[in-house]
Amino acid sequence: MATILAKFLLLLFTISICNAVTIPTPISDSHRSAALQLFHGSSSSLEETYEALRVFEILALENKPDVSAATCQNVVENLGSSSSLKDLFYALKVNGILKCKVDRAVFQGTASRLKATVNDASTLVDIYYTIGSLVLIKDQAPNVDMLLADADGTFHSIKALSQSDGRWRYSSDNPESSTYAAGLALEALAGVISLASSEIDQSRVNTVKSDILKLFDSIQKYGTDDGTFYFDEKFGGGREHQGSLSTTSSVVRGVTSFAAVTSGKIDLPGDKVLGLAKFFLGIGVPGSAKDFFNQVESLALLESKRVPIPLVLSLPATVYSLSKKDQLKVTVNTVLGSAAPPLTVKLVRAFHTDAKGSAVIEGKELQYDQSRGLHVLSVFPDNVDVGTYVFVFEIVLHDSGSENDYAIGGQIHVPIYVTGIVKVSNAEIAVLDSDLGSDETQKTLDLAGTDVVSLSANHLQKSRFSFQLTTPHGRAFKPRQVLLKLRHETKYEHIFVVRNTGKKFEIILDFLGLVDKFYYLSGRYDFELTVGDAVMENSFLRPLGHLELDLPEAPEKAARLPPLPVDPYSRYGPKAEIGHLFRAPEKRPPQNVSLAFLILTLLPFIGFLVGLLRLGVNFKNFPSSAVPATYAILFQLGVAAVLLLYVLFWLKLDLFTTLKALGFLGAFLLFVGHRILSHLASTSAKLKSA
Amino acid sequence: MAKLIFVFLTLIPILCNSFTPEKTSDRRILVLLDDFAVKSSHSLFFKSLQSRGFDLDFKLADDPKIALQRYGQYLYDALVLFSPTIERFGGSIDAAAILDFVDSGHDLIVAADNNASDLIREIATECGVDFDEDTSAVVVDHSGYAVSATEGDHTLIASDDFIKSDVILGSKKIEAPVLFQGIGHSLNPSNSLVLKVLSASPTAFSANPKSKLTSPPSLLGSSISLVSVIQARNNARILISGSLSVFSNRFFNSGVQKAGSPTKHDKSGNEQFFTELSKWVLHERGHLKAVNVQHHKVGETNEPSIYRINDDLEYSVEIYEWSGKSWEPYVADDVQVQFYMMSPYVLKTLSNDKKGRFFTSFKVPDVYGVFQFKVEYDRLGYTSLSLSKQIPVRPFRHNEYERFIPAAYPYYGAAFSMMAGFFVFSAVHLYNK
Repeated sequence: MATILAKFLLLLFTISICNAVTIPTPISDSHRSAALQLFHGSSSSLEETYEALRVFEILALENKPDVSAATCQNVVENLGSSSSLKDLFYALKVNGILKCKVDRAVFQGTASRLKATVNDASTLVDIYYTIGSLVLIKDQAPNVDMLLADADGTFHSIKALSQSDGRWRYSSDNPESSTYAAGLALEALAGVISLASSEIDQSRVNTVKSDILKLFDSIQKYGTDDGTFYFDEKFGGGREHQGSLSTTSSVVRGVTSFAAVTSGKIDLPGDKVLGLAKFFLGIGVPGSAKDFFNQVESLALLESKRVPIPLVLSLPATVYSLSKKDQLKVTVNTVLGSAAPPLTVKLVRAFHTDAKGSAVIEGKELQYDQSRGLHVLSVFPDNVDVGTYVFVFEIVLHDSGSENDYAIGGQIHVPIYVTGIVKVSNAEIAVLDSDLGSDETQKTLDLAGTDVVSLSANHLQKSRFSFQLTTPHGRAFKPRQVLLKLRHETKYEHIFVVRNTGKKFEIILDFLGLVDKFYYLSGRYDFELTVGDAVMENSFLRPLGHLELDLPEAPEKAARLPPLPVDPYSRYGPKAEIGHLFRAPEKRPPQNVSLAFLILTLLPFIGFLVGLLRLGVNFKNFPSSAVPATYAILFQLGVAAVLLLYVLFWLKLDLFTTLKALGFLGAFLLFVGHRILSHLASTSAKLKSA
Repeated sequence: MAKLIFVFLTLIPILCNSFTPEKTSDRRILVLLDDFAVKSSHSLFFKSLQSRGFDLDFKLADDPKIALQRYGQYLYDALVLFSPTIERFGGSIDAAAILDFVDSGHDLIVAADNNASDLIREIATECGVDFDEDTSAVVVDHSGYAVSATEGDHTLIASDDFIKSDVILGSKKIEAPVLFQGIGHSLNPSNSLVLKVLSASPTAFSANPKSKLTSPPSLLGSSISLVSVIQARNNARILISGSLSVFSNRFFNSGVQKAGSPTKHDKSGNEQFFTELSKWVLHERGHLKAVNVQHHKVGETNEPSIYRINDDLEYSVEIYEWSGKSWEPYVADDVQVQFYMMSPYVLKTLSNDKKGRFFTSFKVPDVYGVFQFKVEYDRLGYTSLSLSKQIPVRPFRHNEYERFIPAAYPYYGAAFSMMAGFFVFSAVHLYNK
């Protein structure tokens, strides 16, 4: 539980970090525009409609959506029928704002129905809705008889659910006690008192008052000296968990309505009421309609004079510029932003955060500027230099009698930043020969300008850089951020903090001692100086120039440069296109040359033919008888076919077809060849023998 | 009992729904909060998610009943951790469970803050994001702060150093700077999946704003990342912010003026920045799919089982981008295909017809072997596409070589004249008298 609380606190702290150090500002126009966005007319249930209407009413919004016609019809329907207690309750609440035309008889009927069930209701929620509805009817229809006969009994039955620590139970058979229920119970009790036909016993009322005080003892607090208070619900089984906002606002509703009906005073501590106001304001602008309603309604109730009215001191600005001669302005308002009673704001003291003991301002009253509604410290005293200060304010009411009507809190601590322009001067950069420290090259720089220097050095030398900072009042100034950055060509950076003695900031870079740190990387180093502080208006980042550094070769064991971040843009992106390089075709002679050689190769054949003709060839040896002549012709045809086959092989046939054909042709040729050759041989043998 | 079983059986299809871009409905997000106040203070961000069709389930981070999965099925498609201070989650969730959730392809949004717990830091470290180890350090920028009358310590930064990527931040330029108040982180240089989306300016540094700077700050300048994203290899996306308040209504609605700049913007860039960024993280943008890979010879339509060297071929692929509702044709001029065997032989940029079809044609190299068509598409912010299709390439067959080479005619002429001579000679030799 404690951890949940702690977490919530931290969270709220971070959400409202803008307001955490200062006092929360009252409800302003940002709330109004947010309200118009959150509550935009059509709501599904009467509860939501009521919340929207109530917020519009409190914030006095003019251009609110008009939903009265449809809503009134819904209200009348709910009043007439036997709808649930909750719907009836919210219908009456909506009617309280819209003032719909409802018959007196309807009110009468509803009232008698409710009165009959008052004593039967067993749970706190039922009693709350019943009593609440009766009170609303009483307000809306004054002439209806509403008085409770047995007010004492009802009062007692509610009171019976209370616990010793000021919290309430939801029903008698539920042992779980709840802070949220306490709020409901107090509101119901207030209703019973206002409905009672006879005076309720004062002693009973007093016990309830002491219950309220007990409840305020269990209030939660956050921060150390922040002064913010709220109520939180302990985790209970079964019931829906209520957040701290709804719990706190339930208590505020209960306490304020109870305070409204009782004559005597409830001794609520003013700082706790102020703390509650701070809690509601610290939430900022809630994003959900329910939270928004709870916040705004609670703030309105706190302002309703039933409890001490919290007054909120806020500063439009906590950053003051000496160069612009700003004024210190303070506003004091109620939580909803309306004007406060006549009062004086006193600046009790102001001190520098580093020197808490010595105050720079003490006991000063702020002047009230009637026209702007501001309390103004017109001139800053001369001894306020740039820096962070804490200003302590106090509110003093003019009318001392009304002190109990307002919760003003004690002293209010506000951190104030006083900013100004810091003078930068005497900037020098030099390269020194080792030990002797004699200036070899000293260059002055105007840090306000843009000039840069270029230097060169080796590892036996040193580099010195110095400058001065003075505040507008001529004092030494030590900014939070004085960093000298050396960036190597590889983008690797080395950072040095420049330290000061008085006004003078100086750093000496002894390169011999730094070679390891520099990873023995020679080359160009760029200098960059960053000076910045929260109160320095002219914080700057400025390149000073570059240094060519000549460092020795790295020994083998030296540390390697750690990996540098890769530029994400270079990692992606399309790659260069690649085309394939095809093998070049072989070089060939031109076609004409080939044709010329073709003709040359044909010449011997022609020569051969011519030679044959010149020799006078004849075919007298050709067989004259029929059969050998047939064989001779077939043989020659066969030879021609084989040769033709070769031509075909070249033109289109493949090896296999050709060999097949050649096989057949070969066998045929063998046969006819044998026949014709043997015939020719026998013929020539005969000739010889003859 | 039977009724129970029936209920369970009807529940099964609901329980088995896991994230697929094809399935638009039922995209559930678990939002873990430190306190329900965040639900109201950050309602604009949540509303923008709800209006885009996400079903948000708000739970306290230490609620003992929270669970990411049941019966081995994940109950959510994304997880939002808006609980920077949580030391231990309730239920069965721990850092390992969250990393498993991401490893199974789900998305994660983490917001840390000034007082971020070790648990949140551990989750971030596992994602390649190292928050400043000094727990009291916040990012301070004395030159790039947001001008404010009530903020004097310069921890409220106006940053406008965005990543240059339309897919991550949307095509509409973010005019106003983004307000940031929180802790900085650095990215592990060896991690190539993590990207700096919002960087600090060169003057920023990360240190405790209450104490003086005596040693160089560990994080400095534009190497400080304020908001980073990670796209894992399984395309799960993670958003890590060093601040929870950047998502808050207050920052969404606040005006902003950067120090040193004369322009005052009525509204900070936070709403646009984080709405667009959440669209990217939740895969409403930059999620690609490639379908219908086709290749064939020029002039044909059927895909061959093998190519011959020097064939002319056409390659095409269709790429679509998920827009949150439907698959839209993807348009880009940097999609490349490789014809790859050990190394790319051909790498060509594909042209596209603006309807999602990317195509090109090229000649098969004169090298035979087993090749692959490869599309390796890795672009900033997009899910990576990696397609490969194997295809063998053969050399010429014996009868596919050139047959009538003019340069060889003298040889043919010589052979055929020889043959003709042989024919004439044989006849003359046999029958001459």
